[in-house]
Amino acid sequence: MAILQETKDKVAAIGEKYKYGFVTDIEMERAPRGLDENTVRYISAKKDEPEWMLDWRLGAFRRWREMSEPTWARVHYPKIDYQNAYYYAAPKNTPKKQSLDEVDPKLLETYKKLGIPLHEQMALAGVAVDAVFDSVSVATTFKEKLNEAGVIFCPISEAIRDYPDLVKKYLGTVVPVTDNFFATLNSAVFSDGTFVYVPKGVRCPMELSTYFRINASETGQFERTLIIADEGSYVSYLEGCTAPKRDENQLHAAVVELIALDDAEIKYSTVQNWYPGDENGLGGIYNFVTKRGDCRGHRSKISWTQVETGSAITWKYPSCILRGDETVGEFYSIAIANNFQQADTGTKMIHLGKNTRSRIISKGISAGKAQNTYRGLVSVHPKAANARNYTQCDSLLIGRKCGAHTVPYIESRNSSAKIEHEATTSKIADDQLFYCTQRGIGEEEAVALIVNGFCKEVLQQLPMEFAVEAQKLVGISLEGSVG
Amino acid sequence: MLEIKDLHVTVDGKEILKGLNLSIKAGEVHAVMGPNGSGKSTLSFTLAGRAGYDVTKGSILYRGEDLTALAPEERAAKGIFLAMQYPVEIPGVTTLTFLKASLNAQRRARGESELDAMSVLKLVREKAKLLNIPEEMLRRALNVGFSGGEKKRLETLQMALFEPALAILDETDSGLDIDALKLVAEGVNAMRSPDRAMLVITHYQRLLNYIVPDRVHVLAGGRIVAEGGKELAHELEAKGYAQIIKDAA
Amino acid sequence: MNAAMPWLDARRAEALESFRLKGVPHRRIEEWKYSDVRSVIGAEEIAAADTAKWQIEGETADVDVVDLSGEIPQWARDRFAMLGLHNAMESASLAFAKGGIAMRVTGNKAAGPLRLNWSGHGHARVFIVLEEGASLTLVEKHAKARGLRNIGTEILLANNAQLSHIAVAEKSDEAVGVETITVKVGPDARYNAHFANFGARLSRFDITVTLEGEGSEARLSGVSALGGGTHADVTTHIIHAVSHTQSVQLFKKVAAGKSRAIYQGQITVREGANGSDSRQTAKGILLGERAEIDLKPELEIYADDVKCAHGAAVGDLEAEQLFYLRARGVPEAEARNLLIRAFLEEAVLEIPEEAIRAEVWREVEAALEHLV
Repeated sequence: MAILQETKDKVAAIGEKYKYGFVTDIEMERAPRGLDENTVRYISAKKDEPEWMLDWRLGAFRRWREMSEPTWARVHYPKIDYQNAYYYAAPKNTPKKQSLDEVDPKLLETYKKLGIPLHEQMALAGVAVDAVFDSVSVATTFKEKLNEAGVIFCPISEAIRDYPDLVKKYLGTVVPVTDNFFATLNSAVFSDGTFVYVPKGVRCPMELSTYFRINASETGQFERTLIIADEGSYVSYLEGCTAPKRDENQLHAAVVELIALDDAEIKYSTVQNWYPGDENGLGGIYNFVTKRGDCRGHRSKISWTQVETGSAITWKYPSCILRGDETVGEFYSIAIANNFQQADTGTKMIHLGKNTRSRIISKGISAGKAQNTYRGLVSVHPKAANARNYTQCDSLLIGRKCGAHTVPYIESRNSSAKIEHEATTSKIADDQLFYCTQRGIGEEEAVALIVNGFCKEVLQQLPMEFAVEAQKLVGISLEGSVG
Repeated sequence: MLEIKDLHVTVDGKEILKGLNLSIKAGEVHAVMGPNGSGKSTLSFTLAGRAGYDVTKGSILYRGEDLTALAPEERAAKGIFLAMQYPVEIPGVTTLTFLKASLNAQRRARGESELDAMSVLKLVREKAKLLNIPEEMLRRALNVGFSGGEKKRLETLQMALFEPALAILDETDSGLDIDALKLVAEGVNAMRSPDRAMLVITHYQRLLNYIVPDRVHVLAGGRIVAEGGKELAHELEAKGYAQIIKDAA
Repeated sequence: MNAAMPWLDARRAEALESFRLKGVPHRRIEEWKYSDVRSVIGAEEIAAADTAKWQIEGETADVDVVDLSGEIPQWARDRFAMLGLHNAMESASLAFAKGGIAMRVTGNKAAGPLRLNWSGHGHARVFIVLEEGASLTLVEKHAKARGLRNIGTEILLANNAQLSHIAVAEKSDEAVGVETITVKVGPDARYNAHFANFGARLSRFDITVTLEGEGSEARLSGVSALGGGTHADVTTHIIHAVSHTQSVQLFKKVAAGKSRAIYQGQITVREGANGSDSRQTAKGILLGERAEIDLKPELEIYADDVKCAHGAAVGDLEAEQLFYLRARGVPEAEARNLLIRAFLEEAVLEIPEEAIRAEVWREVEAALEHLV
């Protein structure tokens, strides 16, 4: 008993240990504070966008003004003043880079601190990296090798200029402009993000990766990612996120759209470690993100894996629309909420096609005074004959002041469909901790060990080089959680 | 090696050990026998330092040092090993991962260098062979779905791996059939050494046919009520606890 | 409740206000997502509804039975309508009902089985008090109706009291039936309930049980066998307010035709309610091409030393079981029938009293005859 008694007190220390909390001192160029049509025009002009893109944005903005923030999630925060923030910030002097050598060394230094080896290390790891620093994409490595394979991997701002037909054809087709308050806002003001197109039959020769970093203060980050896997192709994409420590809350409202055509497969992994706020709940990122994949073609597959350890508030439901027949959707999630963090995350699996399958494995860990909610929908439409879903939702509580909640919605309208959902809630048992300590393992390490075991099914889904990092992150998030 | 003096232990506000005295020298194997509820498990958990087992009076000297203020992992690093009656399951953590983590944690605490995965594997394989533990078992989650025999073999493997100075075996025979019992006993006997002490805690005499003790102590009502050589165990078997306790009183 | 009752006026005024504010429940309100009352009845119609009729059967020697349309004794006045307003429909029942029934079993008496039969349409209130050590078995039956029947029920169980509550709603294509049941369970007391729901135009049992005494327990179970275009919703919310409380929920649903079966089950474990143990199972079988089953199990946990689990599943019959039976010579139709019965029977078996269990089972069989 005494062990866990102390757990909750010690858990409080984590905020202080956030190791990505530094600020890079770099000169910024910003749009004027606030949000109106001029802001939208400013962003569009900065990006040299064609007329159609500006119109698209303005349409979204006009819709957004009519919309109100959703309130159904189990998260609480003071009203956001959308007119008191910046919507565009970019490191000054960022003409197009031909190579990494032209990138501001301070930026490269930042990435180094973040543990992203942009240079040779990446070559060894075989990962192509696009790094989004505040609002603009800084450098994309490995373009040439990808070009050879015909894979397009570039900042979305570039794609709008260079591949307008592809962008026009797919942008907003998975997450419509009017989908929800935050997605619509993103549609109006997104400043950059990543675009990936994998042509027919191509297996992307390397893991693609984007690193997102919020640096500027009082600035929202609105990146937009669009990934298209054409027939028979395969791509694995990773994203990582960090932000400096600040007392204010910053908004991050991203939109990610995935499209998998016939026989294509997309694997999308996230390690989200935005600044979570301090141990008193001050500061931290509001992470209001819309991620959705469309298994548009038959036999296609989309798999989401997420490790969510950061952000003051996480509101995020990476989903799959299983439109094609025999499509597969997967969602593997670890969500750790500590101190005053609030997480309301989960998925939606929409079964439309025949013989569609989905699998949901969610592991939620609550510590400190955090509230952690799994919210998931499995919906089987009348035509989705033989649809199958399996959901396993486990919650682990560390300490007595936190909460763990599970809210699944199961809606079946096809008699041949089969949906199974299981959920458990538990704590780290005293005897597990004692067993570990008796064998010489300190309590802190024991907690990390047990929690990593608890999360194993999800960690296994991450690409190798990410899995190790994620495992460490799980440990760090719970560092100081026992005494 | 171990010197317990007038030990009083309270669990959940209830006094379980009421003035227990026990002394074990290096190289000796002692058995503590007692009926259910006599305080056997309390003794082993107290020695290992489990939270909730409060020493209200008396002392536990281990190699001359008082243990009572030390955390379980500190005691482990100092060479105290408790083979548990009910080894705990830890889902998702493979046995090998756990062995590496615990071995290295102990080494770290003693200021020794940590072993890499390959060295640990090599070491574990060596010990596992003797106990007939297949490699496949090492890749399964710790104790999850293990049979009673597998769990106890794994406890014995850990004892061999950590090479403790003081090994406490809590009801090691429970849940074992005769073949498994022999195997475990062989493992334990192989560990007997002039600089190691062992404390075998058991309800039945059966185990002591295989692990022959130097001394036998009878625990009842939180105290040692009778002591003797290995023949005391047989006497217990023949007469039963009630008679022995009565004789002692 | 028929005449002026100054002691009740404030409570009823509050209920009226609450109903006016919240309005008729509709699908945009999270808790009513699957039961859109507004689409079948308007606020004015609700306000204008009559009072439903009740009738008691069985041995009442050990039960104080009070007709709420008449004089209300002090024991009921003290605690009547005090448990808070759980939803707009309950508020409406308090605001608009002109009658209903109150029952009390005093200390250590064992009463029942009693039957409470509902007929007609309109609002009504039910108030049940079991004092220390008292026990009662109550079978509540909703006969076929047209239009609205909206009941607000409050149940208070003192130390060590036991209520076995079986509610049956007959198939009633034209009815809009809502019963909101609020239960407070004291130390070592037990609430055992079964809800058999055979469908209506809209039917909902909405149950909130607060386990507020240590050692208290709630066991809820229920079945629905639906056909045609009927709807049946059972929504339960179990609140573990103190430590060492236990709850079990087992609900089974079969939906054929164009029917819609719903189970929403929320379990809340409040801060400090350590040692709570809660298990919930909800399963459905869809028999019709156009039928729908919606399940929403929900855990809301604020204490760490708990055992909570829920499982939910919707599907067809197990192909393997079906094959097994057919391989042993049972024709497919019969095999399906057998398996569906076995599926529902598990929940009906939760009813402790044998005679009542048999009675509910007969209703289930009758319902299945039209479906399978």
